[in-house]
Amino acid sequence: MQATPTPADPLKAAKWTPQSIRTGVIARKRGMTAMWDDLGARQPVTVLQIDNCQVTANIVTVRKDKTEYHAVQLGATDKREKNTTAQMMGHFRNANVGPKQIVREFPVTPDAHVPVGTTLSAVHFVPGQFVDVVAKSIGKGFQGGMKRWGFKGLRASHGVSISHRSLGSTGQHQDPGRVWPGRKMAGRMGGVRITTHNLRVVRVDTALNLLFVKGCVPGVDDAHVMVRDAKKIMVAQAQHNQAKGRYEKVLPKGVDDLPFPAGTQEMAKSLPPVIEAPSARVISPFLPRE
Amino acid sequence: MFTGRLRALARSMSTAASTTAAAYPFSKNVIIRPATAIPQSIPLESLQKGKGLMPFLQTALPPPEKRQWMETLFSKRHPDRLLPGTVVTVITAHAPNTFSGVVLSIRRRGPDTSFVVRNIVQRTGVEMQFFANSPHLKEIKILKKSGGGGGRAGRRARRAKLFYLRHSPLKMTAIAGGVKG
Repeated sequence: MQATPTPADPLKAAKWTPQSIRTGVIARKRGMTAMWDDLGARQPVTVLQIDNCQVTANIVTVRKDKTEYHAVQLGATDKREKNTTAQMMGHFRNANVGPKQIVREFPVTPDAHVPVGTTLSAVHFVPGQFVDVVAKSIGKGFQGGMKRWGFKGLRASHGVSISHRSLGSTGQHQDPGRVWPGRKMAGRMGGVRITTHNLRVVRVDTALNLLFVKGCVPGVDDAHVMVRDAKKIMVAQAQHNQAKGRYEKVLPKGVDDLPFPAGTQEMAKSLPPVIEAPSARVISPFLPRE
Repeated sequence: MFTGRLRALARSMSTAASTTAAAYPFSKNVIIRPATAIPQSIPLESLQKGKGLMPFLQTALPPPEKRQWMETLFSKRHPDRLLPGTVVTVITAHAPNTFSGVVLSIRRRGPDTSFVVRNIVQRTGVEMQFFANSPHLKEIKILKKSGGGGGRAGRRARRAKLFYLRHSPLKMTAIAGGVKG
């Protein structure tokens, strides 16, 4: 349900608060490489590229118990008009954006709505902050218990006949006399939505709209991923530390503020081209710590 | 006396902080780098759509000082490239500061390119993996080009990875015998 959110006071620029939840971004996983930080420690990084991610709607839904659900709907990666349904073309026309391949929404607080049509940029994330990355994992097909659940299988010899990789027992005896629901068995593995938490943003490149995050991210190369502020380290910790009065611990070390309500292409023009996070370490990895 | 110096230090730090704050208001400690140079031959639009982005980053991410190594020592076709079987001395900023031995393998991954060097040190086989683009790697000196064993062994190694040398001490001494460090 589309509704115009309450217009903000134009004299007071929107500012991030520890109670705010900002929108995320839809990016594409381009690949992995390695980088060395300023102290000389090697960091494996995943390169995420923001491929024309624009706001297609601001969603406000009033539930039966009168609470409100607020969300920002984003579309990413342009698509040919001839491959887009008429219904979706109408939706994109309302937002004044071109047809997009993927449309997803991010739940936000009411103050974090972004004007429809805004193009988001990599500067939405601050180097040094933490993000969660959500994507569909690589499909592994029909897999047995050993790969899917980490079962140990049976011995390689000593009389074991044919069942070296089998599940073994699936339950008890006459009581209960059945297999419990949820019993781990062989089946389709992978190809499901996975969230990787607390990945540190290492570098932001505005010209190519690149986000370098430390660590690995689910999905194949060129897959669409959803990137948002880490729920555990950014959102929950900010709210908790603000409530406890530990104001210097509200945001991660080195991060002073977050672009609010979103880091846009306009904002990127006024910021440096490549921004890199300082090392999270204290001293060089090759020096002994006292 | 001390307060004067402290005030001067605070003043210089504040001016530095104010310039970074003006440039990037969301964090004071970030490192600001120059824009990645995109050559004229690659259109920006195709890179922004991801076409050829990773191959471009393979060449663009290593710092300028290391790019010379990537183009010569670690390239696939350059006449002066590092071949497996070459005897090298590697000088690093961390301990052990110099390490010599035979190059067993070269793993080409753009910025993550690395090579393994093996030597026998005090009757113990020691292998070290060095990352070419690490800021700690200062110098790679070639002592003996590949194929310097003498006699029938005096030709280039016929393998890309010489892991068989782990089980042949005779061949190791033939190639890297007497190389100290």
